[in-house]
Amino acid sequence: MNGYMGKILRLDLTNKQKKTISTSDYEEFLGGHGIGSAIFFDAVKDKTISPFNPKNVITLMTSPLSGTLAPSAGGRTEVQGLGPQPYPTEWFTRSNFGGRFSAMLKYAGYDGIVIEGKADKPTWINIVNEDVVFEDADGLWGMDTYSTQEEIWKEVSGNPSNSPEDREWYQKDRGRDDGRTTQKPAVVAIGPSGEKKSRIGALIHEAGNAAGQGGFGGVFGSKNLKAISVLGTNSIEVADPNALMKAREWIHENYEYDEEDPECEHPLDYGSFPGFSFITDAPGSGMGFWPKVEPARPQGCLSCPKNCRMRTESGYGSESICVEVVMYGGQSPKERYKSANLAQRHGINVYPISTTGHKYLYDLYKQGFLGENGEVETDLPFEKYGEMEFIRALLNKISSREGIGDDLSEGVVRAAEKWGRLEQDLSSGLLQRPNWGYPQHYDPRIEVNWPYGSILGSRDINEHGFNWDIHWIPQVSTMLGLDPVFDAEEVVDNVSNAVVPFEGNKSMFDFGEDNIYSKDMVKTIAWQRYYSRSWKQSVQYCDWFFPNFHNPSNSPTNQGFTPEAEPKFFNAVTGRNISFKDGMNIGKRIWNLDRSIWALQGRHRDMEKFADYVYEVPKKAPYFVSSKQNGEWKWENGKGRTLDRDKFESWKDRYYEFEGWNTETGRPTRGNLEELDLGYVADELEEKDKI
Amino acid sequence: MVNRRDFLKGIAGGAGAAVAGFALGSSTDLMKEVEGRTFENLKSMVEAPPSEAYLLVDREKCAGCRSCMLACSLVHEGKENLSLSRIQVIENPLAGFPDDLVQEQCRQCQYPECVAACPTGALSVDEVNGNVRLVDEEKCIGCQRCIEACDQINNPARAAWNHEDEYSLKCDLCIDTPHWEENGGPDGKQACVEICPVNAIKTTDQIPVQIGQKGYKVNLRSSKWKELGFPVE
Ligand code: SF4
Ligand code: SF4
Ligand code: SF4
Ligand code: SF4
Repeated sequence: MNGYMGKILRLDLTNKQKKTISTSDYEEFLGGHGIGSAIFFDAVKDKTISPFNPKNVITLMTSPLSGTLAPSAGGRTEVQGLGPQPYPTEWFTRSNFGGRFSAMLKYAGYDGIVIEGKADKPTWINIVNEDVVFEDADGLWGMDTYSTQEEIWKEVSGNPSNSPEDREWYQKDRGRDDGRTTQKPAVVAIGPSGEKKSRIGALIHEAGNAAGQGGFGGVFGSKNLKAISVLGTNSIEVADPNALMKAREWIHENYEYDEEDPECEHPLDYGSFPGFSFITDAPGSGMGFWPKVEPARPQGCLSCPKNCRMRTESGYGSESICVEVVMYGGQSPKERYKSANLAQRHGINVYPISTTGHKYLYDLYKQGFLGENGEVETDLPFEKYGEMEFIRALLNKISSREGIGDDLSEGVVRAAEKWGRLEQDLSSGLLQRPNWGYPQHYDPRIEVNWPYGSILGSRDINEHGFNWDIHWIPQVSTMLGLDPVFDAEEVVDNVSNAVVPFEGNKSMFDFGEDNIYSKDMVKTIAWQRYYSRSWKQSVQYCDWFFPNFHNPSNSPTNQGFTPEAEPKFFNAVTGRNISFKDGMNIGKRIWNLDRSIWALQGRHRDMEKFADYVYEVPKKAPYFVSSKQNGEWKWENGKGRTLDRDKFESWKDRYYEFEGWNTETGRPTRGNLEELDLGYVADELEEKDKI
Repeated sequence: MVNRRDFLKGIAGGAGAAVAGFALGSSTDLMKEVEGRTFENLKSMVEAPPSEAYLLVDREKCAGCRSCMLACSLVHEGKENLSLSRIQVIENPLAGFPDDLVQEQCRQCQYPECVAACPTGALSVDEVNGNVRLVDEEKCIGCQRCIEACDQINNPARAAWNHEDEYSLKCDLCIDTPHWEENGGPDGKQACVEICPVNAIKTTDQIPVQIGQKGYKVNLRSSKWKELGFPVE
């Protein structure tokens, strides 16, 4: 079928074996996450093993849209497997990174890579079209992620730089029949942190594309796998090229930020607060809140119309976005950018060491618990907290497992548990880790679609679809001291218009204190779970561009391109004819498959509870969401709220019922799985007594 | 109604390329031998009627998304392949701005080495279509002399090799786009220009300075770009 290359590479590191799986066996799961879950389910017989067990299978999957002009879907790669980061259970989990790795993998001829086993010594994998070679990585072991990539570029294409002499058509010798390329191979690598099996080790591609959450860097390390490099020159067949081109023109004309004549602009001097571009989608918006301190360009993943990142003159902060560049305060914006690079080079997942990481350690130092003479001894230079010296030392320790780094390499939550602090600090909120040990992201007491989705899954969901609109629009304006630029009612209208098959249900976006436990909120969560599993994580439209509800570039209605765009590009490339709703149904199927894998790992409803502070400690800072008060839509300040334990438990009943799951256990049932054509999954659950 | 984006696309205005003769560069450009060509090279060549349009790019504005390359490959070949694009964007993601990226487009040379090198006349100046230098795929025998000739003056060569269908590719300003319903050429639309999200590629009907890079690598940034915090000088 068009869009797919037809085969998935299956690599066994233990036996140095290469096989291929036929993609058509799995196309019903769309691509990316769906195919990854289905392959994992088939390939890993005992799903209760440790993530560091050689039998753990890691998948890196593309989408039928990877490598094509489909907006923001051209370069993303979905990564799955048992992850060492989730706490207390090491769930089957996922991550994703941008850039162009998936595109190159398709050009090389593959829809994905499945990795199993463990190499007997450091290895990297070199893929150039049909040639797949296990290479010796002795010389690369110990190198940071940037140097590793540079070495591999040299080795594969002889093109380490961008100097005029290096701008060439490579693969010349084989080029007449096999094709040439001017592009560097796309490399995904681990740093020293991953090599040391850190639970917060990340996979890094180019300067700032990271699959951080889940700890897959540590899993690569446990398999002695340093990097994978791909270079390809094959074509991806497209069912209807004209339709694909016209669809992209349609996005360009109506929904992109028009840099020459924007419809909605930042209301103040842009350099002072770029965060407003979360609303406008202006290029470079992902650098978050920091003024641009040095010359830069916007930079995008392959085929992205938004280009949310930047590449800077010094290289600091290049391609890093959001939390990556706000991870550490630093003395100046440049130091923030620098800290981001340090973490990327070490290959450390920035989220768990950002505020809920280093700040927590600093709080423990102030209490006298950590430090030279503390209960837990460490020579971390806390007196230099806020300066480069501290973050440099912290990252070095984590990466080398030296001193306290050995505990912290396991993640702050496991370190706190070892130090006997976990229970008290989760309860007081000193340690803000609401679900599965992952850092608090959006407020779990107020913007509940985020934590509800997270606790029902395996990680911090990191899915911004609703969040841009129902939270950031009022939040950013308030931070700027302005009235919100858009009315709550207009925004909620635009969001609710698009949420097929629940379109028109505005109550789904009432985040008022009563409504967050309602049946409507069940639909909000279900919609987001299905959408994410299908369109976002399988078809791999980028989280920062899709779904699109409220779009200020499309005045006067400001209605975004969801649900029209999702099937439009998918159908143009694949030649299938599925509707948005069909995609949602496949998403539901994938969600239930994941849910079954977690059941096999022992998931029970009793585990689906937040850290105590979420129920006990009121929110202290202003936090805005949409809600309906006395018949009127408002931007409500949720300051002072906590989540009600009992009401959340009854909300869970309603959610499980809606899904057709067992309300006692929270697990899928045979009936519900068979309805989704997952009878074979029900069989395994039954065999393992988990249904 | 005039479509604003269409209007902005042809930044130079004016009807057709009226400028005859060749556009000289500054003396510093004359020293540059790496890309483009020197005055000495040019003297020995035969002039062809000038193309009626040229692609200009702004390497400090480009976001490296490669959408232009994917559009080029798609509308011409009906497939997606960066190796089949007639414009090449090359990045070093670990280098600092602005040395991290180049966009390399065909120059529609006033003295086209590719045309001179072609033994069959497959690569010719299309006088019916605005004098664009283009390949007639039917006539192309795959000797790749055009690619080698362009490679002598450009890194990388702007003429490329379609290894799947075995003919040479070069920018035709989208005259022959069987997979796109729009009309291309000097007076029509170009897929790369249409799609570029930051307007870092445009066309002009004025002959760019032929020596060195400056005529083709231009500044397409406006005051709005500056308001986003990016450099415009
Ligand atoms: S929005 Fe940002 S992260 Fe997403 S695809 Fe575009 S450039 Fe990449
Ligand atoms: S292919 Fe090369 S030689 Fe021919 S017109 Fe283009 S730049 Fe000039
Ligand atoms: S003008 Fe057309 S042929 Fe030339 S590079 Fe752009 S898309 Fe390709
Ligand atoms: S489409 Fe525009 S921004 Fe993207 S790579 Fe091409 S020229 Fe650069």
